[in-house]
Amino acid sequence: MLNLSAVHKSRGAGSQRYSLVIPALHLRAGEQVAIVGPSGCGKSTLLDLLALVLAPDQVGRFEFNQQDIAGLWRADQQSTLARLRSQHLGYVLQTGGLLGFLDVRGNIALSRQLLGLKDDGSVARLADQLEISDQLGKKPSALSVGQRQRVSCARALAHAPQLVLADEPTASLDPLNAERVMHALLAQAREHRAACVIATHDEPLARASGLQVRRIHCRRDSDGGVTATLGEAG
Amino acid sequence: MRIPLVASLAWQDYRNDAWLSACSVLALVAVIAPLLVLFGLKFGLVSSLTERLETDPATREIIPLGGGRFSSAFIEQLGQRPDVAFAIPRTRQIAATAQVGTLVLEMLPTAPGDPLLGGLPVPQGLEQIVLSHTAAEKLAARPGDWLETRFARQVAGRVEARDTRLQVLAVLPLEAFARDGLFAGLGLLEAAEDYRDGRAVLALGWDGEAAGVGEQRVYPAFRLYARGLNDVEPLRVFFARQNMLVSTQALSIAQVQSLSRNLSIVFWIIAGLALAGAFAAIFAGALAAVARKRRELSVLRLLGFSTGALLLFVVLQALYSAGFAAVFSAGLYGLAEAGLNQLFVQVPGEHASHLLAHHYGLALVAVLGVSAVAAACGGWRVARIQASEGIRDV
Repeated sequence: MLNLSAVHKSRGAGSQRYSLVIPALHLRAGEQVAIVGPSGCGKSTLLDLLALVLAPDQVGRFEFNQQDIAGLWRADQQSTLARLRSQHLGYVLQTGGLLGFLDVRGNIALSRQLLGLKDDGSVARLADQLEISDQLGKKPSALSVGQRQRVSCARALAHAPQLVLADEPTASLDPLNAERVMHALLAQAREHRAACVIATHDEPLARASGLQVRRIHCRRDSDGGVTATLGEAG
Repeated sequence: MRIPLVASLAWQDYRNDAWLSACSVLALVAVIAPLLVLFGLKFGLVSSLTERLETDPATREIIPLGGGRFSSAFIEQLGQRPDVAFAIPRTRQIAATAQVGTLVLEMLPTAPGDPLLGGLPVPQGLEQIVLSHTAAEKLAARPGDWLETRFARQVAGRVEARDTRLQVLAVLPLEAFARDGLFAGLGLLEAAEDYRDGRAVLALGWDGEAAGVGEQRVYPAFRLYARGLNDVEPLRVFFARQNMLVSTQALSIAQVQSLSRNLSIVFWIIAGLALAGAFAAIFAGALAAVARKRRELSVLRLLGFSTGALLLFVVLQALYSAGFAAVFSAGLYGLAEAGLNQLFVQVPGEHASHLLAHHYGLALVAVLGVSAVAAACGGWRVARIQASEGIRDV
């Protein structure tokens, strides 16, 4: 479903340069992977590449859902990329990324409405499974951080995407809530057979949640710049 | 693009920012409402003045000056011109008088279609007349009365006179004709002229010389009314080309038309400045909105909304403001119109301030158009919002 090899992305130049190298990343449907590494090592950059919102510099191969993503970027096919995002991707942001002007129900339903899908009860079902049923009528500002993350998870899953990306979904939560949110997210993704890529600095939680762990290694080069490389599973 | 979804999201965000939205509506109202009042005043004033000119037939009258020699065929031809509403020959003024009691009345020819008579019945034959208001007052005559009328002439130093009975068919209102006068069919005026020329009038049993065979009557003047206000000046030019001096109200018509033109120029200058200001305000508002909503817009882009949808989001919010501002301004204008009309209007049916339905329509289209274009220009920056930029702002 997702096949990357020899994908490069660089920002800045000289000693300010930061490069991310993905030698290989292959994901099958339902596979769940954690990307771990210290803050600033490039986890978010990797997720943005996978989320089709950041263009790669060099590509050996970048396929998602049998589409040549590198080709779409080269041809600047923004609307095709946007359609792929809306149909096949769910994204859980570190800070929730909820829209303040919509209530919880509206936020969760948004990914379905964008695809023109009727409400088949999945919004209420997800809210129930993520224990936010009694918050559906509230605005995000009235929710706790943990509740917002659950809403964000529900929105990422509501349209049954093939791939769920989560960027430090538990970073702003206390350990107990972190475990509950992570557990709920993975359980729902498993139920929907959605592949998961979760960026986190909490490796013990990732391992405890049964995720396959891929580490990003950082190395300072002779020119003073930094190169981060996605390691093999281990 | 899911336009209904974008419209609904834009509306919910618009409602969520109620105070800012209200301010943008008020900013537009501050531009639109005074413009409506100004244009309403200009239109109301000018149309009242124009209407006043149009309802007074005297404004459209073209009076030949000095004596002329016109055949009835020439005057009939004038009457058939598309820019002429009514034309009828006049007999010699000195022969066109009638004496009722001690009062000597000026006689004027009339016929169906005479603008001065308006809706009044038209005298038929040699026995019916319409009196002017002042003449009817002096004679204490009412419609239906019969008047003993005398026509006098001098033949070889001897004064002769003939009497006939004329029926008052109607009395003209004072506004239509302010002098003493008697309106009758052309036949009666021709009879009076013939009698005074010493000829016999068989129809009335008046004796005199027999009329010459094949003799063409020559008229010294005519009564002529242009069809519309704009026909007066071309007719004046037409007569001037024929070397005929005429008196018209072309000057007062031109004054109203130039007032209308000058007020239009003033209005469009003010409207142009105001709309440019509104454009700048909406443009700046859209720029600020894109900066302020950067995070929300990036999230929408991340979810898969296209650039067009994001631009529509910004433009629709400007259109919501424009729509509310237009309705609100129309309401305020309505109040101002009622007040102005109460203050300034003396004649019922006239308006100091007045707008037609298509003026409201035009104002609405202009406001929506300017708002949409300004917001689209200001909101174009959404195209440069990268989903990967805004979403990590806390």
